[in-house]
Amino acid sequence: MLAFLDMGGYAAYVWPAYAVFFIVLLADYLAPVFRRRHVLRELHARMQRQKARQARRDGMPTHTDTDAHAIREHTTS
Amino acid sequence: MKWIPRWMHELSSPPVFYRFAGVMRPWFMGFALLLTAIGLYGGLVLAPPDYQQGDAFRIIYIHVPSAEMSLFVYGVMAIAGFIAVVWRIKLAESVAMQSAPIGAAFTFITLVTGSLWGEPTWGTWWTWDARLTSELVLLFLYLGVIGLFHAFEDRRQGARAASFLVLVGVVNLPIVHYSVQWWHTLHQGTTVRLFGPSSIEGDMLWPLLVMMLATKFYWAASLCGRVRTDLLSIDSGKHWVRDLADREGR
Amino acid sequence: MRPGSLRAACAAILRRDLLLAWRRRGDIALPVLYALIVTTLFPFALGPDTALLARVAGGVVLVTVLLAMLLAFDALFRQDLEDGSLEQLMLAPQPLALMLGMKILAHWLSTALPLIIVAPVLASMLHLPGEAIAVLVLALLLATPLLSLLGAVLVALTAGTRRSGMLLALMLLPLCVPVVIFAAGAVSAAQTGLPWIAPVAWLAAALALMLVLAPLACAAALRIAIDA
Repeated sequence: MLAFLDMGGYAAYVWPAYAVFFIVLLADYLAPVFRRRHVLRELHARMQRQKARQARRDGMPTHTDTDAHAIREHTTS
Repeated sequence: MKWIPRWMHELSSPPVFYRFAGVMRPWFMGFALLLTAIGLYGGLVLAPPDYQQGDAFRIIYIHVPSAEMSLFVYGVMAIAGFIAVVWRIKLAESVAMQSAPIGAAFTFITLVTGSLWGEPTWGTWWTWDARLTSELVLLFLYLGVIGLFHAFEDRRQGARAASFLVLVGVVNLPIVHYSVQWWHTLHQGTTVRLFGPSSIEGDMLWPLLVMMLATKFYWAASLCGRVRTDLLSIDSGKHWVRDLADREGR
Repeated sequence: MRPGSLRAACAAILRRDLLLAWRRRGDIALPVLYALIVTTLFPFALGPDTALLARVAGGVVLVTVLLAMLLAFDALFRQDLEDGSLEQLMLAPQPLALMLGMKILAHWLSTALPLIIVAPVLASMLHLPGEAIAVLVLALLLATPLLSLLGAVLVALTAGTRRSGMLLALMLLPLCVPVVIFAAGAVSAAQTGLPWIAPVAWLAAALALMLVLAPLACAAALRIAIDA
């Protein structure tokens, strides 16, 4: 086992090469997983905000109120 | 375009492809892991040490498949890019642009493992040989494509512009390769004979072929994941994405 | 020349761009000044050894000229894009590729030609021998239009984006590697007394090819980068 890990004296070259291979590809594989979750969460949050805005607008149908909301929404997003 | 089979036409619709890629990705990755386990067992344990390079040659099992993939991915990206520029198909644009990071990753691995292999066998990390220089230029091409794509505010426009750059690169890469070769014969400075005509024995060869197949499966899995995620961003206003966000976005 | 004819349109664009360049003469002087500064810095970095400077002179001048041109590329379409005249050009009945070819020619005349004129001065500052200077100027005469044409395609691709300086350099590097190799190869061959005609012939062949293809590619790239 130790002889295997030693790689005939070339351990310092062989194992880092394999480490780079696996680390880079693992990062490449996981990147879309995280990104997908991020995109869906963001979209969900945006839809929730829109729904809440819609509900408020239906509750108090005054022009000034909706405008104020729209402006606030615009500045925060 | 009657010659395109019906299933292909259906697959190029984003929601259908999203589901298809989601189903296929674990299978591709599973095959990739299985083949990697077999290939590396054969390469690291069963194959005898090389009579000249000792055990250092075992880097071949990741270096050569990565080098092959760096060109293979560029080829796929160029085909998808051509379709994107000519027919403006959304899925082709996405495939072309999402191929670039995968290709850049493989090119980076090729360069790093190559210098880790070069140091003990030729005594140098880097030399301005045609293959090494072309590989470095390939990395710059990938980075240029990624950079151009992200410089645009409109994703689809950026994808088409970067696809055009991919096509320019297809013409350019062989020219770079041959001009560097010419340059290398002109400057007879450091003559390291890099890749002699070498034959590789069966015991050493089959793990290499298995690893090449494994990286293909890995590429398919990675591309599925990336394109799938990209389609969500592109189609974020569409119903199918909104329904998905309702179910999975909390 | 009938007004509105192809030849008249080409002449009008060429005259307009050259006039605009002439009105802002300071901008023409900038790349030349930049090349002068970079070349002056090299002896300080490498030491005043004449043999060493002569050995690197060809390469240094070539790379300096390339970088100076890279600085000026950004201005190729910038102003026309901002005032909307580029869109007018795209809508014009005359073929866009030819019009862009004229713009590239005007840009080459106003940025690369001054650099070629000072190149012998820069080369002799670094003690490049006389016959090699002649080959250097010949190589520059073929290499700089090639770079202008290649660069124009990339500038057209980045036309729709905000930031482009560093990106342009990254995109241009793979394209200019062969140009630099052949141009520098000709100079170093002339310096060592070898026949230098082969690399110059390669450059000329590439230039002939690019003169036809690059304006077409430039027009296609521009249509992609600025539609809608």
